[in-house]
Amino acid sequence: MWTTAGAQQILRWGADPSGGAPYVFTDPANPDRYIGYEKEMVDALAAAMGRRAEFVPSDWETLVSALQRKSFDVIVNGLEPTGDRARQILFSKPYYIFQLQLTVRADDNRINSLADCKNRVVGTLANTAASRLLDKEGIDYKSYADPVGAYRDLELKRIDAALFDVPAEAFYARPNRRLKPAGEPFTNGQYVIGLRQGDEALKAEVDAAIDKIVTDGTLETILKKWGLWNQAQIEFQTPIRSGNQPQTNVEYTTTEATFNWREAMWRLTRAAAVTVLIALGSMVIAVVLGLPLAVGQWKGPAWLRVLCTFYVEFFRGTPVLVQLLFLYFGLPVIGIAMPGWLTALVGLGLNYAAYESQVYRASLEAIPTGQWEAAYSLGMGPVLAFRRIILPQAFRIALPPMTNDFVSLFKDTSVAFAISVWELATAYRELANASGQFLLLGLAVSAFYLAMSLPMAHLARLLEQRLRNRATDRVTETEAEAPA
Amino acid sequence: MIRGMIRVKGLRKHFGDAHILKGIDFEVAPKTVLGVIGASGSGKSTLLRCLNGLETIDGGTIECGDVRLEAGISHADYRKRVRDLRLKVGTVFQHFYLFPHLSVLGNIIEAPVHVLHTPRKTAETEAFELLESVGLKVAARRYPGSLSGGEQQRVAIARALAMHPALLLLDEPTSALDPRRVNSLRALLRTFVDRGHTMIIISHSMGFLGGVADEILFMDGGVVVEHGPTEQVLNSPQDTRTKEFLEQAE
Repeated sequence: MWTTAGAQQILRWGADPSGGAPYVFTDPANPDRYIGYEKEMVDALAAAMGRRAEFVPSDWETLVSALQRKSFDVIVNGLEPTGDRARQILFSKPYYIFQLQLTVRADDNRINSLADCKNRVVGTLANTAASRLLDKEGIDYKSYADPVGAYRDLELKRIDAALFDVPAEAFYARPNRRLKPAGEPFTNGQYVIGLRQGDEALKAEVDAAIDKIVTDGTLETILKKWGLWNQAQIEFQTPIRSGNQPQTNVEYTTTEATFNWREAMWRLTRAAAVTVLIALGSMVIAVVLGLPLAVGQWKGPAWLRVLCTFYVEFFRGTPVLVQLLFLYFGLPVIGIAMPGWLTALVGLGLNYAAYESQVYRASLEAIPTGQWEAAYSLGMGPVLAFRRIILPQAFRIALPPMTNDFVSLFKDTSVAFAISVWELATAYRELANASGQFLLLGLAVSAFYLAMSLPMAHLARLLEQRLRNRATDRVTETEAEAPA
Repeated sequence: MIRGMIRVKGLRKHFGDAHILKGIDFEVAPKTVLGVIGASGSGKSTLLRCLNGLETIDGGTIECGDVRLEAGISHADYRKRVRDLRLKVGTVFQHFYLFPHLSVLGNIIEAPVHVLHTPRKTAETEAFELLESVGLKVAARRYPGSLSGGEQQRVAIARALAMHPALLLLDEPTSALDPRRVNSLRALLRTFVDRGHTMIIISHSMGFLGGVADEILFMDGGVVVEHGPTEQVLNSPQDTRTKEFLEQAE
């Protein structure tokens, strides 16, 4: 054990603090401190258990596996009890009854309930009661890592509505005058504390502590302070306070993950299509934009050389992930709000244009001066000589490194998961997190990537071979017979 | 008096402080071959690059037909005249510089089609005639990479002639050829002269020039030392510098 007699025992708890208000989040007034109603609740629980609470910041998507790896002892993060989680971890008794709230733009009168969201896109948190409900209802949704991103995209009209647990909605959406709740809160779900399987002793301790802070009114005080006290909590807490054990058997059905392989493969196929679209689109941008960059940097006047060099160094010297985040979240500030897939397409295109320009430049510089002089001495101007004589030769030199870049571009589309684009990497992460099928889904996703990159590599090899054969072929006499 | 096909007057060229051409004067009459000789560094390669406009001239004039290139005119005007000059002057480079991505036929019709806008069919017919005259008709569809040095040179000659230049420049045409090939090149060039072409040939090979050139021009230190009929310059040179050069060249 990690405690010695006399020392106070520690309760290490894990949660995702990024965009985590009002559960647990960074204190805006003091960035070194975490605050939130669950933070205060865990402190109260720990006190009731005679322990000291220690917070371990973690990532929502991987909370369960982090718990199993013993990164912390309990999950306290608005965790809902679901059937698939029940197979992996233990649950405490519930401590909070949550509801879901649909949010739309203030000027939007089309959507008043979930039923109005058919054929529209709803933003939500991945792998939650909300996302599963949408799944079950067959409503298209887009997963976000936190409510902040979803509500911002709702404002920017990238999505039509957002569905979140009331605590998050109350904190992030209510104060925003450009957004409004659509309809009343609905469904009743429970938040529980997650524990490792076999940790029955700690579960008994936690359950007792929950009873204690409910009975003595500590939890009520905390919830009231955070504006989360409502009728559902009164109905939930009253039987406990009067000494009656409430029903602890949790209804999983509404929040059960609905994973099946057919559905998963269909979603992976759609994700692959998005990946191909992004890859091909950004390729076109890179190939087309790379050329003026290369020529500008190579033969342009001084100011253009500086500009092109700056462009290249900027896009090569900063991470593509940061560039995408900037395009996605930064550009809307000046009124340019592109949807995620287009942002990824443009961002990767701009990024790879920098790399392609360097491939072009090296290839163009590899063409001997004699080729230019031969073209000039035949009366060609610089533009004609470049287009007809230099460029085709440079293209042959550039082809192998370009192929290389484009195979890696296919794989780089995976950074689009950072801006919630449903491409292969996002699909893998979310489907695997929801189902635990990391291995099989991983193989399936790899197969998709290979199915895209191998044909491309093959095609490029064929083209290279054709160009090479041409340069050295020895045509038979009959073929060479002149028509004259 | 016959007007020269090309007339060079007071031609100067310097790279920084290095004065390479210090006032060159000569003319080449139509249908004649001028051989240019001189030691390495005498300026003969620079002279050739000035004649086809690859170097900007710093003084004097180059006249070819109705084109007159002179130093000191506006940049735009100069560029236009250089383009015109290049249409009058064809060049066969020492290393040929064929376009490796184009077939032999493609190399020859490239400039006629895209610069002169000759219809492709016409250009091809003409190209086959030229290829026949250099003995390479069967190679029309081959690519330069599969040709020998001598074959590449003949393609380069055909490519230059396809533009109907008033003057053909050849830079060290014998440097890549064995003696047998030198003889056939000499014969080939003579047939073109007989058809009315005018040429300037830069060469180190006195034997080769003796058989093909009508006149010889000897350059040294950026000036013309001696210019006269081939017989006279090679056999009884007037200037001591010419004598010394020829003795060393033997």
